[in-house]
Amino acid sequence: MIKLFGPRLAFFQRAEFLSAKDMLQRAMAISALFLAAHLAGLREFTSVLNGTAGSLAVEVKLGTFLALIYILLYLAFVILVPVLVLAAIFLTLWQRCIQKEENSRVTPETSSGRPDANG
Amino acid sequence: MVTVGFKLPGAESRPPSCAQIGTFMKSRMKKLLMGLAALAIATLIWLPCLHLVFARPPAEFRQDPGLSPKARQLAARHLRLWTDPALREQELNKMRASNAEWDFMGRSYLVWSLANMCLRDPASQPLYLRTMDQIIDETLRLEKEQGMYFFLMGYAKERHYLVQPAHSLFLDGEIALMLAARRVVEEKPEYKPLLTERVNAMVGRFQKNPGMLLESYPDECWMFDHCVALDAIKMADHLDGSDHSALIRSWLAMAKLKLVDRESGLLISSFTTDGIPLDGPEGSTIWMVAHSLQLLDEDFARDQYQRARKELGEITLGFGYAHEWPKSWRGQADVDSGPIIPGFEISAGSSGMAFIGASTFDDGKFLTALAATLDFAGFPARTGGRLKYCASNQVGDAALLYAATLGPLWQKVKTGGKP
Repeated sequence: MIKLFGPRLAFFQRAEFLSAKDMLQRAMAISALFLAAHLAGLREFTSVLNGTAGSLAVEVKLGTFLALIYILLYLAFVILVPVLVLAAIFLTLWQRCIQKEENSRVTPETSSGRPDANG
Repeated sequence: MVTVGFKLPGAESRPPSCAQIGTFMKSRMKKLLMGLAALAIATLIWLPCLHLVFARPPAEFRQDPGLSPKARQLAARHLRLWTDPALREQELNKMRASNAEWDFMGRSYLVWSLANMCLRDPASQPLYLRTMDQIIDETLRLEKEQGMYFFLMGYAKERHYLVQPAHSLFLDGEIALMLAARRVVEEKPEYKPLLTERVNAMVGRFQKNPGMLLESYPDECWMFDHCVALDAIKMADHLDGSDHSALIRSWLAMAKLKLVDRESGLLISSFTTDGIPLDGPEGSTIWMVAHSLQLLDEDFARDQYQRARKELGEITLGFGYAHEWPKSWRGQADVDSGPIIPGFEISAGSSGMAFIGASTFDDGKFLTALAATLDFAGFPARTGGRLKYCASNQVGDAALLYAATLGPLWQKVKTGGKP
């Protein structure tokens, strides 16, 4: 079983802070939390924004707290998640470019350095 | 020495040298800086694009002729409320727990919207008229049975009205405008004496009061209520052939002279019966006032809208919103302004009412930007073709519906079209 799911679960292992993988993991975590809050029906409580209770069955303080949670997760979902995904893409492309540049720098040096060393 | 909490590559057997640690730290720092730079670039790209996700063509909110898709969806939800008593009671109780006025204003805005919808969509007129009558009859019944305080905030009972017997221009004006709107669409003989009685009572009080300022609450008069009442009087003139144009002209001349904030040129929101300002110019009032004035004095109305747009309206990164007060005035957040979001000073109340102003004066750019904000931060919820904004409430959604449908009713009165 572990062998079967091992490579897939590897994605969920803690990545290096601010690496592309770390950003994608954070984006996924925020999306999952927002989805959970949305499916739990917390959107209804956002009526506290105009001073109306979201539900009369829940205490005002609890309703406000649930609204706050939903609003923060929503803002994170629409603002942070796309930023994290875009940043992860930029970072990956950037690192590939650097890698390519380093490779191309190493190859001519080693090929031109050998005769000198031998000579 | 080996207290560093990481493993250097190839340092399994020996403790890392200072040079190795330095190289590692340098590489780690470089990665962190690259990550931060990527985040900064992504933010700079995403934030200016965010509004594009929510921006829709103006015709999706308001279209001429006919009804926009959003108006249909908002209306479907309101019509459902008036055919499902349990659902209506639940919604109204939620609002009444905060403000009894909202229950009343939700009815007014819905009736005025339905009147415009009748003229925009004649095929659905029977359903709309039936709902209008149901709302008007129930409102009149509640006013009669429970008294005018049923639809007023609690503090109305704390003092005595200066003019006795007590009347609230807030209730009289809006009820008269509901009755008049219904009759402009299609005559209903039962409503004619009810409108005449209410209009005559208001006109009588205007004539008796030398300042021409009538109370909505004890010694508290509102610009909003005066403009709505004058609209109702103008519509009664159109319907029944009376002529109160001199009264309307006098009142407007008085307001331009005494009730305008010198700094911004905007009409103030509330004042005593002596004309002493209580609140200054406010977004939660002025957008509707500009709309109401359009029926009374087109040039003055446009001037007020343009000033409000300049002093209160904002578009940032494609999102439209409105402040409650101009820069020259400091006020306290209250039940009308709604919570003020610090930093941008966004007022939920003013931003919602700004739809009415922008729609009245065909300000497509502002309307599109406001609609983008509404879909971004209003938390729309759609079920079975019905739309509601969770961050709003029934009165807020009814005011939005009014903004999405207004036009034909005023047009019919201005052009003299008889029912």
